[in-house]
Amino acid sequence: MRKRLAGPTTLFAAAFVVSAATAQTPGITADTIKIGTFGALTGPGYLYGKLPMNGVEVVFDEINRAGGIHGRKLQLVREDDRCDPTAAIGAVKKLVEQDQVFAIIGGGCSNATFAAKDTLEASKVPTLIFASVHDGITTPPAANIFSTATTSTIESQAQLAYAIEQGAKKIAIISMRDSWGRARYTPLIEAFKAKGITPTADEELSPDANDATAQVLRLKAAGADAVLMLLYPKPAAIFIRDAQKLGFKPLSLGQTGIADPAAFEEQVGVPGATANFRTISQVRYTPEDPKMDKWRKLVEAKFPGDRLSVYNLFGIGSAEVLVEALKRAGKDLTREKVVDAFANMKDFATEVYAAPITCSATDHRCNKGPAWMAKEPGGPIKVLGFTVVGQ
Amino acid sequence: MLLFSYLLMSGITTGALYALVALGIVVVNKATGVINFAQGEFFMFTGFVGWMLHVQFGMNYPLSFLLAVTVGFLLGTLTDRIAFRPIAKTDIVSLVLATVGIGFILKGLARVIWGGKADYLSFPPITSPEPIMVGSLMVIPQQLAVLAGTIIIMLIFAAFFRLTRAGKMMQATADNSRAALLVGIRTDRIYTLAFGTGAAIAAAAAVLTAPLTLLYPDIGFAFFLKGFAAAVLGGLTSLPGAVLGGLIVGIAESLAGGYIHSSVMELSPFLVIMIVLVLRPTGLLSFRKARRV
Repeated sequence: MRKRLAGPTTLFAAAFVVSAATAQTPGITADTIKIGTFGALTGPGYLYGKLPMNGVEVVFDEINRAGGIHGRKLQLVREDDRCDPTAAIGAVKKLVEQDQVFAIIGGGCSNATFAAKDTLEASKVPTLIFASVHDGITTPPAANIFSTATTSTIESQAQLAYAIEQGAKKIAIISMRDSWGRARYTPLIEAFKAKGITPTADEELSPDANDATAQVLRLKAAGADAVLMLLYPKPAAIFIRDAQKLGFKPLSLGQTGIADPAAFEEQVGVPGATANFRTISQVRYTPEDPKMDKWRKLVEAKFPGDRLSVYNLFGIGSAEVLVEALKRAGKDLTREKVVDAFANMKDFATEVYAAPITCSATDHRCNKGPAWMAKEPGGPIKVLGFTVVGQ
Repeated sequence: MLLFSYLLMSGITTGALYALVALGIVVVNKATGVINFAQGEFFMFTGFVGWMLHVQFGMNYPLSFLLAVTVGFLLGTLTDRIAFRPIAKTDIVSLVLATVGIGFILKGLARVIWGGKADYLSFPPITSPEPIMVGSLMVIPQQLAVLAGTIIIMLIFAAFFRLTRAGKMMQATADNSRAALLVGIRTDRIYTLAFGTGAAIAAAAAVLTAPLTLLYPDIGFAFFLKGFAAAVLGGLTSLPGAVLGGLIVGIAESLAGGYIHSSVMELSPFLVIMIVLVLRPTGLLSFRKARRV
């Protein structure tokens, strides 16, 4: 009799222990998982906050429609950080302490997310960053923070690798030296050193520049056949326009700061000037690509008036990674298991990122394969391929 | 020589724009004794108005230009009536702080009205975007148009101050506001006119510049900084000095960038200003008035 009871008793005890552990983990019930998100819902930074969040939400809806993850439906709780560092810290605290979320997916503006890093780390809540590219968010790695955004170092390394791949012999730099530019410039110079190359020329351009004649003439005199641009769209447009004016047509490579080649062509405003321009995208498809039809329909149905944008895709890709980690963590969900699932994710293919997602215990930058986009003057945007770096 | 020609042309074009911004600062300062720190935001706001009229409403460029200048004038006069006149009798610091506040309000309004459309708004070129050859020099026709427009505006305002009754009253008020009041000039109206004129000049500069650059809510400060530098260089109360100062700032930037390094471009005009102010503390074209006793 004792022997007969031992099995069910053990099972019951195990189930009790598991359910007690689950009950103690904030944000989980028998049929829900509460996920928090933070980023700008208002102000100009909404592109990196609200739009990726909308992408996350449509992925969650799809998962919930299919029955959830191990029987639990996903709930998304949004907090607005307005791209403001102080507000970001407040938003994370509210998600963790008041809303008691199980995990976080979010982070739009880099400086705001970076400011909240210590709060996120102290909370031990598994966190996946969807848009912020600041290196400091993932380097040095905090045990619970992972990122599917291409970091500024990865983008800089990819620029140099792509220029070499395209056969460029004389590679020059034109950069802004504000905090955004420096975060890219320093790793770019390190990448040059690592490859034993010296930049042919190294010029600066102010974020507010209205003329780049001097810079173009100097780069042209140096004979640069590729120019790595660490610039916002405005100075980049001024540079490309003046380069066209002065007959200087090198391969010009941008970063995700210039995320939309169609808008950039319009900003340059000189026909044909963007013919040799390429830029980095975190995702491998443009919103217009037929392969994104499914997501376009879902986003536009859930958020009437919105059109699928590349920023929605950031959220969609990141949410796919989070969902995968939650699945791998199993039914007996704990935060530690989700962190382990992130750390052991290898070659996970999403529907939107160019390269498979790979994280490790020591490298939490999970998206190391930025895609290259170009727009033929007057033609459609094309994705040319991707460059994997930093592995 | 070709390098010098290109750098000079680019310096003159950007310098002319700085000169226009400086002109607006000097007009207000000359009449009221106040540095209008919102001049850059008037520039930004009216630039967006020009964009809205030309791009969104499809008006032709000259009409958009005139309407934006009119809006600028009205905005300037309204600002004077609402923000400055009630505190006109207080100290100069309060008036200057009021201009800073107006600047923030205009920037906030611009974000509300035009924010969220794109990171940067492009203004279509008013001439062919294809470069043309002027002798051995390749220039963008838009640059020539901006330069021509700037010169015309400067001439119009020079004529306004020299030939019109309102302009002469502004000059008189600037020279001695108490004496102007005693001879029957309504100085409060002159102040309103000065703020309106300053904002109208900012609007003209913005709509001329817009096709050469991209519009965004923070554009005003950079232009204000360069325009203010140009105004200081010219002596803060001299209209020709503002023009000369603008051109020196633009050319110094361009030549330093071309011949030394692009990293010194932002620094160079301020170095020039420091040197000039050490040698001539009143600025290039401003003279201390001798008082006979």
